[in-house]
Amino acid sequence: MRLLLLSFVVLFVSCKKDDSLTPTLPTIPNQEEVITTLNYTLTAPNGDVVLFSFKDVDGDGGNAPVIVNGELDTNLTYSGKIELLNETVSPAEDITEEVKEEGDEHQIFYQFSNSDLGTIYTDTDANGKPIGVSTQLITKGTSSSTLKITLRHTPDKNASGVSSGDISNAGGETDIEVTFALDVK
Amino acid sequence: MLNSFFTLFIVFAFCVQSIAQNCNLEISGLLKDEITREPIVYGNVFIKELKLGSVSDSAGNFKIRDVCAGNYHLLVSHIGCETVEYFLKVRNDTLLKISLDHNHHHLHEVSITAKLKERTVQESQSISKQDLEENGDKNLSAILEQMSGVSSIKNGNGIAKPVVHGLYGNRLAIINNGVAQSGQQWGVDHSPEIDPLSANEITVIKGVGAIEYQGNSLGSVILIEPSSIEREPHLHGAGNYFFESNGLGNGMHFSLQQYKNVGLEIGWKVDATVKKSGDNRSPNYYLRNTGNEEANVALKFEKSIRKNWIIDAYFSSFNAKLGVLRGAHIGNLTDLEEAFIRTEPFFTQDKFSYTIEAPHQQVNHHLMKLHSLYFITPNQKLEFTYAVQLNQRKEFDVRRSGRSDMPALSLDQVSNFGEVKYVNGFGENWEFKTGVQVNHTDNTNVPETNILPLIPNYVALEYGAFGMIAKSWDKTTFEIGGRYDLENRNIAAISNFVPRSIVQYSNSYSNFSAMTGVSQQLTENWKLLGNVGFANRNPEVNELYSNGLHQGVSGIELGEIALRPEQSLKGTLSLKGKVKNKLFFEVLGYYQAIEDYIFLNPSNEVRLTIRGAFPVFKYEQTNASIYGLDFSTIYQITSQLETKIQYSYLKGDDNSQGIPLIFMPANNIYGALTYDVKNWRLGRSKLENIELQLNNRFVFEQTHILPEQDFIQPPKAYHLIGAKVSLERQAGKFRFNFYARAENILNMVYRDYLNRQRYFADDLGVNIIAGINVKF
Repeated sequence: MRLLLLSFVVLFVSCKKDDSLTPTLPTIPNQEEVITTLNYTLTAPNGDVVLFSFKDVDGDGGNAPVIVNGELDTNLTYSGKIELLNETVSPAEDITEEVKEEGDEHQIFYQFSNSDLGTIYTDTDANGKPIGVSTQLITKGTSSSTLKITLRHTPDKNASGVSSGDISNAGGETDIEVTFALDVK
Repeated sequence: MLNSFFTLFIVFAFCVQSIAQNCNLEISGLLKDEITREPIVYGNVFIKELKLGSVSDSAGNFKIRDVCAGNYHLLVSHIGCETVEYFLKVRNDTLLKISLDHNHHHLHEVSITAKLKERTVQESQSISKQDLEENGDKNLSAILEQMSGVSSIKNGNGIAKPVVHGLYGNRLAIINNGVAQSGQQWGVDHSPEIDPLSANEITVIKGVGAIEYQGNSLGSVILIEPSSIEREPHLHGAGNYFFESNGLGNGMHFSLQQYKNVGLEIGWKVDATVKKSGDNRSPNYYLRNTGNEEANVALKFEKSIRKNWIIDAYFSSFNAKLGVLRGAHIGNLTDLEEAFIRTEPFFTQDKFSYTIEAPHQQVNHHLMKLHSLYFITPNQKLEFTYAVQLNQRKEFDVRRSGRSDMPALSLDQVSNFGEVKYVNGFGENWEFKTGVQVNHTDNTNVPETNILPLIPNYVALEYGAFGMIAKSWDKTTFEIGGRYDLENRNIAAISNFVPRSIVQYSNSYSNFSAMTGVSQQLTENWKLLGNVGFANRNPEVNELYSNGLHQGVSGIELGEIALRPEQSLKGTLSLKGKVKNKLFFEVLGYYQAIEDYIFLNPSNEVRLTIRGAFPVFKYEQTNASIYGLDFSTIYQITSQLETKIQYSYLKGDDNSQGIPLIFMPANNIYGALTYDVKNWRLGRSKLENIELQLNNRFVFEQTHILPEQDFIQPPKAYHLIGAKVSLERQAGKFRFNFYARAENILNMVYRDYLNRQRYFADDLGVNIIAGINVKF
């Protein structure tokens, strides 16, 4: 009984103390996993470079993302390269490496609104399936199209059409889904 | 504490003759129904040690002859009732007068609870120990679902939260062992961390019952009462085992207890539960990663210091690992839309597995409670309670580069609770009760996730005081009470802009609540109960400060710092009665108006992120109303055959916008036909209390919702057919109870509106459960 009473006194008194009313200050996490930036660099045979970029440094809230769209020349084969960055840390971390290392668990898909345009995968994972960090983009005709780039984590690369770039049966979770305006002249 | 279903009164035991070591003693007595005062016919009275028994005659009398002087355990049972055991010292011829709350049997599932004198103006329903044991495979919420007006919000089969009259989470208080359950109740996919097998009885108060309890509630309360230590000098115990076919689940529970009175009265009890199940199966495919693992223990010590002073200590630990359907883990709205049109979820495997990988939850909840009960006079008692709770929740997501082993959410909550309560019964059936409470909660994100936390760190300090007074007349009981609460909170959050910094907030709320109720015995067989209560709920930290993507539902959720407390007025009116001991029924109507009801309102905004565009939901307030009807009836067709029907109707409206409230339970009807056999001889063994049951649950489609209020239409109506067999057998010292249940016998394909997994997969297919309970 005395013990109980004592614990009450302790409880009531301890709650009066200021430090018991102060929450633990949160540790600002090192968000090593976050992808803030996607750069899609297309290099023409003559060495000209076109950059598509999506950048959202403050994540889901805050300021709107910064999107850079590009213009391509027709009847060319561009070589494409994806760069994924985490710019919440300084210096920026290159997430592309992580995706390549776990190539069998990732695939990048490219969808155009204009069917004249298409990509070919030029890289493979440990199982000989595409990853999609390196690609070739072939332009035809002239158009104003959109390009949707999707990074899927844990897709089923064996499902029908997936390794040739058809996302319909891929499954998995979407880590990135960005859409660019793409003009071909 | 009295056994919930029976009260056993030894009225007098008198001396007829006195001969040393007499083996011609007689134990005789009368079995009566406590409520109707009618004799109980064919009641079984059995002396365990001597294997001698008797059956009560048409006048309720029983007699056991040729008993030697000694100490015995007497078992008293009656069809359908829980068997009660009583310790008896026989020195002379003994006459017993035993009152069984037999009325309870007929309505035991509809529960006309006669026991809780303190709460007679409250509309309540209870689930007994036997029901808990025969549903050992189920979690708390699934067990409570048996009652009308109670449903579950689920995330698959293993994660379930109870919903009473449409309210759940922070709007529904869960009082475990007299202490408000402290944890992350705000999450719809956070199930209460309570092991129903260590409970003695679970009661749902449907009116406004929270006046004497601290903790959030806008009305209803779920009370979990741990099993008490029986005042028995011998070692007693129980063991339960079950197997379920769906998920190949196995579970075990045991308890041991003893009460020594060698000068110093001291009792102890230990309860332990382990459960493990693997992937559940819907009718057409396995639900990958839906296994569960659970290990719980509870210890209780009780000591009588003096005749009028008891202290007790309680410790419990709940530990669970809960799998979440692999295919329900999605990245964005495109993934969700793809999931809707699939015939089976992504990642479905065609083989069974016990493996639980990401996504999953790991939950630990520990409670330590010290309690002192002191009777100043027989009518006046003083109670002290001190409790500490530690709640740890870790949630694991599918992440890159081996980070799936790193929790994506990790929260620790420590709460300290203290209470002083005083009860005084005075004058002619007056009772006064008052108390003060203080609760300190410290909620901290463990910095191990490398992810921005969903809710901020905070400390909350709550003070509360209540007073209530009740008066009983011959046929009427009246009660009125009020409470005051003061809550101060300090919050430390991480900014939602870069560079990230720490932002601090403070808020303070003070609230008054009040309730009044009356119960009126209209005639011998009819009773009317009514109660009205006013209650408040402070906005939770998630409602105030969330900011970010809620991945599971593919929406961005924005908190609102300026939210005010919700204010609710709820009224209930119920009528219960019986006609000629054949027809029993209970009907309860309720209406609840909630001002400043906090809800997630879909805005027209769509926010672009690197994962795609997400709809934005904002926490807003509106005026809401919820009303409904719970109806239960039992009809005794013959003495062996009874039928039961239960119906729940509910409607929730957002009155300010003139639209329905989302996530309200669909209406449902439950029907059961039960056949009882008292005794059945099988060769040399005697089987008792054999019960065969066929049941059917029909759940209507939730039509009270607008198409734009959800991503997809609510699921169609469904019905599930089930069956149950249970029987008992006494073998020497041991009493066995065998049961088998079949659920969704027809293997119907269905989805439930309140199961969040419905976006991704079908609900459970056929499940056969078999179990055994042993008591000694």
